[in-house]
Amino acid sequence: MNPLPDKAIKPLSAIDHLWQASELAAGQGQVVSTGDAQLNAQLPGGGWPVGALVEVLQAHSGHNDWRLLLPALVQTRGVLVLVAPPHMPFAPGLAGQGLAPERLLCINPPTVFAPAARLWVAEQALRCKDVAAVLAWLPQARADALRRLQIAAAEHRKLLFVMRPAQAQHESSPAVLRLITASPAPSAASAADAADAANADPLAADALVVRILKRRGPPLERPLALPARPARLGALLALTAQARARRAQVAGGATASSRVAELPGASQVAAQLLDFPLPPLLQEPHGALDRASA
Amino acid sequence: MHWIALQPDTPADAPANTAADTAVDTVVDIAVDAVADPLTALAWQALPFTPKVARVSLASPAAPSASPVPEALLIEVSASERLFGGRQALLAQLFKQDGPFVQTKRARAATALIALARLQLTPPLPATDDLPLATLLAARPHLATLARVGCTTWGQLRALPRGGVVRRFGAGLLDTLDRAYGLKPDIYPWLTLPEVFDERIELHAQVETAPALMFGAQRLLKQLQLWLQLRNVGVTVFEFGWTMDARRSLVQQAGQGDPSKGALTLRTAEATQDIAHLQRLLSENLARLQLPAPALYVHLRSQHTEALATHSAPLLLEDVQKGDSLHHLLERLSARLGPGAVKGLQTQADHRPEISQNYNLKLENILKYNKNDISLIANNQFNISTSSQKNKNKVSEVKKFDHLYPDVLYPTWLLHPPLGLAVLRHTPHYQGPLTLLAGPQRLEAGWWDLARAGQPPTATPGLALRDYFIARSEQAGLLWVYRQRLGGPAQWFLQGLFD
Repeated sequence: MNPLPDKAIKPLSAIDHLWQASELAAGQGQVVSTGDAQLNAQLPGGGWPVGALVEVLQAHSGHNDWRLLLPALVQTRGVLVLVAPPHMPFAPGLAGQGLAPERLLCINPPTVFAPAARLWVAEQALRCKDVAAVLAWLPQARADALRRLQIAAAEHRKLLFVMRPAQAQHESSPAVLRLITASPAPSAASAADAADAANADPLAADALVVRILKRRGPPLERPLALPARPARLGALLALTAQARARRAQVAGGATASSRVAELPGASQVAAQLLDFPLPPLLQEPHGALDRASA
Repeated sequence: MHWIALQPDTPADAPANTAADTAVDTVVDIAVDAVADPLTALAWQALPFTPKVARVSLASPAAPSASPVPEALLIEVSASERLFGGRQALLAQLFKQDGPFVQTKRARAATALIALARLQLTPPLPATDDLPLATLLAARPHLATLARVGCTTWGQLRALPRGGVVRRFGAGLLDTLDRAYGLKPDIYPWLTLPEVFDERIELHAQVETAPALMFGAQRLLKQLQLWLQLRNVGVTVFEFGWTMDARRSLVQQAGQGDPSKGALTLRTAEATQDIAHLQRLLSENLARLQLPAPALYVHLRSQHTEALATHSAPLLLEDVQKGDSLHHLLERLSARLGPGAVKGLQTQADHRPEISQNYNLKLENILKYNKNDISLIANNQFNISTSSQKNKNKVSEVKKFDHLYPDVLYPTWLLHPPLGLAVLRHTPHYQGPLTLLAGPQRLEAGWWDLARAGQPPTATPGLALRDYFIARSEQAGLLWVYRQRLGGPAQWFLQGLFD
């Protein structure tokens, strides 16, 4: 009896197309980094998959789309097609974050034809060779329509993000990756207290909570908390909150001041802020602000 | 000299071709109805091989003209045989190329008239002297007289005394016979490729709806494609028109010409030979049209053509990008959804947010901007490589925008027009009370509109006197709101969403 030749025995881990339930799939193909190390680590391949349907579910459409997708879109080259976006993109705001606004193409089908026209537009855009990514807002889409988009994206190797309402999380979906985004749940305290807490600690209150509903890998138990906005905007808010707290302290409000003094990260943020000039009007909150927020 | 006579043939009366080596052969090619005018299409197809292509009528001049007049095509190829590597190679190229082919019947001979005579006969073919006189066009009016003197073939007519024949039938008959035997030169009005494509066809049946015009349009477009290929140009503007039944009551519109005619002018941003694209454009446009009366004729005219830009194809297969080009996508979307549905964005130098971007970028400008970028796509669509050089490029790109827009404190979504907010207890509300986090940022712009118009400030839409704030809503996240500073009670508006 001959023993089996050595090369016939391979550890399972050496086979590319086989992955164990406890680990993330690897070698799926091209990916584009999400721009966030924490999120990259949880995605198979380390980024948004190219040529696959990514479904982003959210309670309010148009809230966290750019925050989540902009860092990846900035890295791509080619036209970005927005199919029926909830609002109009603001070119100076996007340009400030590094995205050339001329690359965007907004397509708003007349409401009479929706939602079939939205699917048609998305599919046509995927078939165009000059398009890098398609972002489609499809509140009503059936699984077979999504599968059609998934096939088109795979065939033409495009980034495809479909934004859908949070209610859709219980429907079946052909998406390779499904995420649900939410702001942290408001505290159980009264509205006035919640507003006060938000004033004191804007960074914590504006975290973006991402749960991964479906991926090629084990289910993710704990949701990810990502910084909800660009660093400079966050820094500005922190600085404003600090200035306000200092004023409150001068006025004699002891409880608020002690809370702000312990605010983590506020001093680093202030140091970052020294790197760039602020618009003069924003440096010191005005009397008008006090009147309005009183 | 080597002449080829050609005639489009319908499958019904096409004779079975048994002998492989006869001078008459019937070739079955692709669909008969593929082009609008098969004979012209055939002539155009022959023109790259020889300049001597002529169109002749097969009906005798004296006979009452039947509609349609049977016509044939004469091609003389002897001068270009050497260029294309011999007669057989030339014939193979002439008849075996891709294109809108029709079923043809052809005959070859040393002179044009023999070729034409053979075209009218079915095999087996007689020798030249034994060809029946009916096949000679000039002899047709005299056939009965000639038959009574016992003269039925070309050879018998040739054997008659020349002087008597000229006195009896005129000089024309003998002249033709001499040309048929190659004793005199044979000259025809040679065809050339027209400068402008303008073809018109009659529809088989009255067409009631505009989308049904596509059947006629397809045949015209096929012919247009052939013309474009031979001219080596691409079309940018073309007109598709139709003539309607004039007996129906048609409303004469002011400033319009003939009410029974309608036309559609289509433009594409880039010169193209791609008929599939033109066909889609045309059908999208026709789908939105209504005909006031049934159409009888359709025509197609090229209004502007441009030389085609050549591209070098990539060597490696994996570099080939599948799919349509951007300008095809843009034109198809705006043809289906209307021109307002497709929008490009561009920043403009203005402090007022609603004017700081141009929402209605023209399609040409979208193309122009993205063209530079697209040339890079072929090399690397996703700039994910970690090489330091590429990262450096990316960083410099971001820096460039930073310089242009010094504060990233703008929102990413814009509400246009701004949404008025309710004010309760001096606090603006949007899905609950708003907390102002940063601001105010004061904006005073648009006073130049005021000076120009000379109107009171509140009536001028361009004037903006605003204080901008970044506000938080428990439900809706960070918002960009402003307060109008124009007297009266404080008015708050929501203009942007931070995302």
